[in-house]
Amino acid sequence: MKLQLRKISFRLFLLLPLLVFAVAIQAQSDPTGKSPATRTYAITNATIVQAPGKVLEGATIIFNNGLISSVGTNVSIPSNAEVIDGTDLFVYPGFIDGMSYTGAVQPKSLPRPDNLFTPDPPNDYAGITPENHVIEQISVSENSISDMRQNGFTISHTVPYGRMLPGSGALITLIDAENRDDLVMYNDVSMYTQFVGAPGAYPGNTLGIMAKWRNLFRNAVNSKQHSTMYASNAAGMQRPTRDRTLEAFYPVVSSDKPVFYNASSLLEAQRAIRLQKELGFALTLGNLKEGWDLAPFIKETGTKVFLSLDLPKEPKAAKEKDKTDEVKHLEERRMEFYKKYVTQPVVMQNAGIKFGLSTMGTTGGKVKDNLITLIEHGLSEDATLAALTINAAELLKIDHITGTLDAGKLANAVISTGPIFDKESFIKYVFVDGDKHEYDKKEKKSSSAEGSQAVIGNWTYTVTSPEGVQTGTMIIREESGALAGTISGMRGGPDADMKNLTFVDGSLSFDFSFDAGGQSVEIVVVGTVTGNEYDAEASIAAFSISFPFTATKDEGK
Amino acid sequence: MKQFNMYKTIFLTALLLLGATVAQAQVKKGDVLIKNGTLLTISQGTMENTDLLVKDGKISKIGKNLKAPNGVEVVDASGQFVLPGIIDAHSHIAGTSINEGTSQVTAEVTMEDVVNPLDISIYRAVAGGVTAINLMHGSANVIGGRNETLKLRWGSTNPDDLRFEGAPRTIKFALGENPTRGGRARGIQPQSRMGVEAMLRNAFSDALVYKKAWADYRADKNKRKVAPEYDLRMETLVDILDGKILVHSHSYRADEIYMLMKVFTDFGIKKLTFQHANEAYKVAPELAAFGAMASVFADWWAYKLEVYYSTAYNAAILTKNGVTTSINSDDGELIRHLFHEAAKTQKYGDLSDDEALALVTLNPAKQLGIDHRVGSLEQGKDADFVIFDKHPLSTYAIPQRTFIDGVKYFDIDTDAKDQRIFIDPESSIEVVQIFNREDQHKCMDDADLVYLNDLLNNN
Repeated sequence: MKLQLRKISFRLFLLLPLLVFAVAIQAQSDPTGKSPATRTYAITNATIVQAPGKVLEGATIIFNNGLISSVGTNVSIPSNAEVIDGTDLFVYPGFIDGMSYTGAVQPKSLPRPDNLFTPDPPNDYAGITPENHVIEQISVSENSISDMRQNGFTISHTVPYGRMLPGSGALITLIDAENRDDLVMYNDVSMYTQFVGAPGAYPGNTLGIMAKWRNLFRNAVNSKQHSTMYASNAAGMQRPTRDRTLEAFYPVVSSDKPVFYNASSLLEAQRAIRLQKELGFALTLGNLKEGWDLAPFIKETGTKVFLSLDLPKEPKAAKEKDKTDEVKHLEERRMEFYKKYVTQPVVMQNAGIKFGLSTMGTTGGKVKDNLITLIEHGLSEDATLAALTINAAELLKIDHITGTLDAGKLANAVISTGPIFDKESFIKYVFVDGDKHEYDKKEKKSSSAEGSQAVIGNWTYTVTSPEGVQTGTMIIREESGALAGTISGMRGGPDADMKNLTFVDGSLSFDFSFDAGGQSVEIVVVGTVTGNEYDAEASIAAFSISFPFTATKDEGK
Repeated sequence: MKQFNMYKTIFLTALLLLGATVAQAQVKKGDVLIKNGTLLTISQGTMENTDLLVKDGKISKIGKNLKAPNGVEVVDASGQFVLPGIIDAHSHIAGTSINEGTSQVTAEVTMEDVVNPLDISIYRAVAGGVTAINLMHGSANVIGGRNETLKLRWGSTNPDDLRFEGAPRTIKFALGENPTRGGRARGIQPQSRMGVEAMLRNAFSDALVYKKAWADYRADKNKRKVAPEYDLRMETLVDILDGKILVHSHSYRADEIYMLMKVFTDFGIKKLTFQHANEAYKVAPELAAFGAMASVFADWWAYKLEVYYSTAYNAAILTKNGVTTSINSDDGELIRHLFHEAAKTQKYGDLSDDEALALVTLNPAKQLGIDHRVGSLEQGKDADFVIFDKHPLSTYAIPQRTFIDGVKYFDIDTDAKDQRIFIDPESSIEVVQIFNREDQHKCMDDADLVYLNDLLNNN
């Protein structure tokens, strides 16, 4: 009997780990039912563009547990695979965004500190926080993640919002994640910098920013040298004071970490180049919009570059019949410059420059239209695809894991119903890290002005600012399917265009700028419309102030 | 000997790189023969029916019956007047920012960083015979940023192409109402003229301490020495003390002009030009004794309290007292007819033709330290000149052609209406206006932001 018992307990003992295992499995189960039944997929009989110019017809690609396990025309399909019939489908490598805010949430602007000593503000107000990391601003529920993914992007080099030196960028994978850490592929891959001054404090504009950059860099050189000497032999040497801001520069000083300069304009790019020539860091020009004259320099120096996908609107010639020759000429010249913007990638291509693209300043919905615009202006489809995939991967040094559809690389792919840059095709699936995201054909966007009749018309507004009560008029109209408007000047200034004008679910918002002694000040107005009344708040982020803004719609027309 | 002095290496590398930048920016140099013009040489009187030969951007010969080498363009200037290119010693065109007004000493900033080669005002100035300008920092702070001497080589989108290569560095100081207004708006020093002087003395005293700290460091034989903090602001102030940077100080009143000369005497700084200097005529002998120069308006005043006590005789009085004087524009419109501004000194003060023309040519060149290169028509100097149809001191004179380095940048016969080299494709098309009221306020550009803030927070 005794023996029997012992036997049983021995058997129980053997069962114990199994029980634990069972519990563990239960813990991993997904009561929401969202988890896929399998992480193995086979897209069969598809046109597979492994890399620009490398096309397999009637081929199959297998994704298994987040990686491409095989691709080709003679591939056996695993029994546990979900099979997607790829007949009429086109498979491309997932797109890579060279520089964007995708996934990041813009933090509330810092209030102006009391008794701010403007010549030497605290670093966070000055916008000098290179020691920060973008991960702190990332939110898994940020719309831009799914928005960009739906338009083909699978990886983004995301940089933080802020001013002169907001912090480091990270490579994030555009998956649905529960925890923001899950999004980060590589943290701290770049030092992000831009020409944005602190409102009313040093450095206030490009002048101070350039000088501050030099000063920080040269002190970082000294500080790094001091720290290195101290680390090797501290005896008899002053102890170096710790400075996280300067320490963030150390890998930049040694060219181990690239500096990503948001240099959208020609002059900004030239200034970034100027600093690079003086100080000798590893420069990447990001968000470049006006770089056509810089192609020889970029080629010669091997400077890395991500061109902006945020293209200007095509200018429209006035319709008047009796246009003067002068107006005609001015329209032609404006068109000449529009063409320079949309042929920038062609200029780079012709100069033999390998470039990527950056979506900063644009939205997912505009990506395809803008890519088609570039192609219509001479960029080959292969070059366009290269910029979105393999070139971006090489520039970001992740071409060993992504950028092409080769076995062993990440299962990041875009699958469209036709050649991807065809106007009629649409993206049906996007795979990120082997997870399937499926999309239906987008309904033709209904006019955004639809349902906006409630706000179209003439309004009389009243602003109660610390300067007193002012009134003026704003006119909201419909223009080619969207809302547009003008607002009469505050402080007696000229009329301003209402920008980012939206009316959704009774909420009307817009912004406009006015000129304060040569410097543009932006006012954002957000509020609700009830009948003919608009009750809103106007805020000036630059001064961290807001005040009531109300308006009444004029009866009649 | 083997000691690894990293800082020296860094600075040498930076210098080398800087040199490389200058060498890279290859500006165009031209060859041309100007025939039979009346040459207003400024330094050697007027030469009638004389030729001027330009080779590789320099004046290679001045004389009669010169022959053009093969292929060199000949310009017939019969009955016309050739003047050295006009130089504006005080301008704010071609800059995207003017003031870093957030701090009252910003010696570390430089207009070199914000040169805007796309500014259409450059072409307008060239059409008015101007070939070089002093692109100045604004007057919002006591010690503003470094200025940048530019040649108006219109047409390039590269800021480096506009730099006056080899010109000495200059810096902007400001006295009186503008910097004290900024100080009061921010609740920082200086809020009075006394505060301005105190700030100047403090800044230079700090610079002396900084200079000594680095001198001690360099002299230290210890291999494990630790460098003092690097400060670009102090580096610049030390260079001023060492006479390597020429000071151009915004000023109006005689008392503040005299104050700055006393401060500079105490610190041994010699290279000084007063800008605006509407009351300089009151201290003209003192300026001459110090060796200070003055750059003034012909007849512009009364736009604020400190600028009421003014006279159109200012330039003439200074000139007759031996003060090297220039007339500047400080304005995107006035810059187009500086020769008229110079002519006013003949009505107000009876200056000779050469004296009047020197106010906008050789004298501003001296104030910018570039008179060995430009400012007069002499063999070996840069071929920067303008051809007028009438004598430039005549009300009827109109510039016909403007050359810089022997390259023609303006020709009235081929002057297309639209000279812009950069256009915003999203801009709306409006009636083009030459007069832009904004230009009149450039001196306090970017500085008004805080002024506005001050207003809004005024409970």
